[in-house]
Amino acid sequence: MVKNMTNENKNRLVAGIVLLIAVLIPLVLDKPYYIHVLTMCLLWAYLASAWNIVGGFAGQLSLGHGIYTSVGAYVTVILFNEFGLSPLLGMFFGAGAAVLVSLIIGLPTFGLRGAYYALSTVAISEGLVVLYENTMTIGGLRLGGAEGLIVKLIGDAPLHLQFTSKIPYYYIALVMLLLIIGLSKWITKSRLGYYLVALREDEDGARALGIDVRRTKLIAGALSAFCAAIGGIFYAMLIRYLEPQAIAGAAMSTQMVFLAIVGGAGTVMGPVIGGILLALISEIIRFYLGGYVMGLHLFIYGLIVVLMIIYKPGGIIEVVEHYYRRLMNFRDREVASGAGDSSGS
Amino acid sequence: MVQETVLDLRDLTINFGGLVAVDSLNMTVKKGEAVGLIGPNGAGKTTVFNLISGFYKPTRGDVVFMNEKITGLAPYDVCRKGIGRTFQIVKPFGKMTVLENVMVGGFSRTRNPQECRQIAAEVVEMVGLGSKKDALAKNLTIGDRKRLEVAKALATRPEILLLDEVLAGLNPTEVDESVELIKEINASGITIVMIEHVLQATMAICNRIVVLDYGKKIAEGTPAEVTQDPEVIKAYLGDEYETTVN
Ligand SMILES: Nc1ncnc2c1ncn2[C@@H]1O[C@H](COP(=O)(O)OP(=O)(O)OP(=O)(O)O)[C@@H](O)[C@H]1O
Ligand SMILES: [Mg+2]
Repeated sequence: MVKNMTNENKNRLVAGIVLLIAVLIPLVLDKPYYIHVLTMCLLWAYLASAWNIVGGFAGQLSLGHGIYTSVGAYVTVILFNEFGLSPLLGMFFGAGAAVLVSLIIGLPTFGLRGAYYALSTVAISEGLVVLYENTMTIGGLRLGGAEGLIVKLIGDAPLHLQFTSKIPYYYIALVMLLLIIGLSKWITKSRLGYYLVALREDEDGARALGIDVRRTKLIAGALSAFCAAIGGIFYAMLIRYLEPQAIAGAAMSTQMVFLAIVGGAGTVMGPVIGGILLALISEIIRFYLGGYVMGLHLFIYGLIVVLMIIYKPGGIIEVVEHYYRRLMNFRDREVASGAGDSSGS
Repeated sequence: MVQETVLDLRDLTINFGGLVAVDSLNMTVKKGEAVGLIGPNGAGKTTVFNLISGFYKPTRGDVVFMNEKITGLAPYDVCRKGIGRTFQIVKPFGKMTVLENVMVGGFSRTRNPQECRQIAAEVVEMVGLGSKKDALAKNLTIGDRKRLEVAKALATRPEILLLDEVLAGLNPTEVDESVELIKEINASGITIVMIEHVLQATMAICNRIVVLDYGKKIAEGTPAEVTQDPEVIKAYLGDEYETTVN
């Protein structure tokens, strides 16, 4: 039966099966720890996908996306802690603030080429971490400084995104991931996606064809910041604690980049696969080795990342796709088309 | 022939430090014309295109397109006004397919991907890349890259097309094919200004030729007039050509 299906339908079938498994997993694995690990995998896949919009499609190497996760999270948590505003509403303020910040940063820096843009994002995000660490309050609103900011606990309150069980968080993360996959897919098929890949491949060539390069980068940057902020807000609700280094620091910023690049930057599914796989591997290594030597798990994790980048610069997605096509008996001439996106779904 | 002026360069000048790359250039192009822009290496030909297309801002002078001053407009605005250009050093979007490359140009006229694909497919067919539409641009030969360069610019539906050495690096068969292509484009109503070193081909296409040397216009006229011009022979064609003509 599968043999006679078009590639498109085979993809749909596989996607359906994977989704079904993802939906059913919490019913089988009932240990909160497992659910938490899986939720984090989904969140990392989501965050890598958020970065991928500007870092992958548009090829702008942002090493400071912790700026947006943290701005989103702090704004939302402060609104919740101080004014009792539900994060369901607060997230629009948080994500809106992140978009604003992305525009303020993007206006002067998107004119810069190559390494200069990357360096400025590092500088700005590191500066922001220091700012968080040294600010206890602003205008009477508690930021918590280096100690961090605890999200006020109000018990089981779905309308405030607080649950005593881990399972609702898992499903929220799953929906978020599905939404961002949909968004990425839409981008690759739309004019925006073509423009982003074009300016990534050759800025002058893009300009000559009518592309307002700076404006297009700003749009991608804002979209990416919005999504990253939503991810940061979810993280805050899940962990119920905001620590500057974790939400804004290099741990956050570079992780998003690693996952996307190792998975396959500039493709729809690369960052998703990279995020889930690497987050899982890193958790497994930590679980088994974390107790032995401090930092050993990080070292091994780093090694895997480096080896991947050296031997599979196109990302895990290339390997996955290769075997997937073989396994599914894909017909060769039926090429999935989208803006420079060879991965399809 | 309608004598409507499409492009008018007025006293166009640009300095790079001490170097005057384009010096007080006056030049008009009428609708439907095919004008050749020739001159020795470093004469300032590409710089003229960069000035017209908004990549460089002139030190002095103006670019007037369809009776509208467009001096200093950004390249993407110039493109949207209806000026298409190719690059001497081609700029393919390597990781996109041929069709996708051309679609990028098409999107300057429509937001709709289906419609854009349609426009692009026609243009790809027209330039003779139909059989390679799904190939990645980075895998094309130089000849095909030059064609792709033309196709991308064509997809923006330009009023005037600026071609910068699209024949350079092609083998004789490819040159002939491209000459036919450019004639066809011109015949479809698109005004053409082309920079070229292959004189034979330029003469086959262009009804008027402008000669630049050290940033200055030193001659202008029909191919026959220009090649007889002693100043041109001295500056550009050199002694060799002089002897073969005589
Ligand atoms: N951006 C720039 N900065 C400094 N000098 C420049 C710049 N662009 C061009 N030039 C100089 O201007 C002069 C004209 O260059 P241009 O590229 O226009 O010549 P050309 O006629 O196209 O030559 P070719 O036939 O070799 O392509 C050259 O001396 C070149 O070095
Ligand atoms: Mg040149």
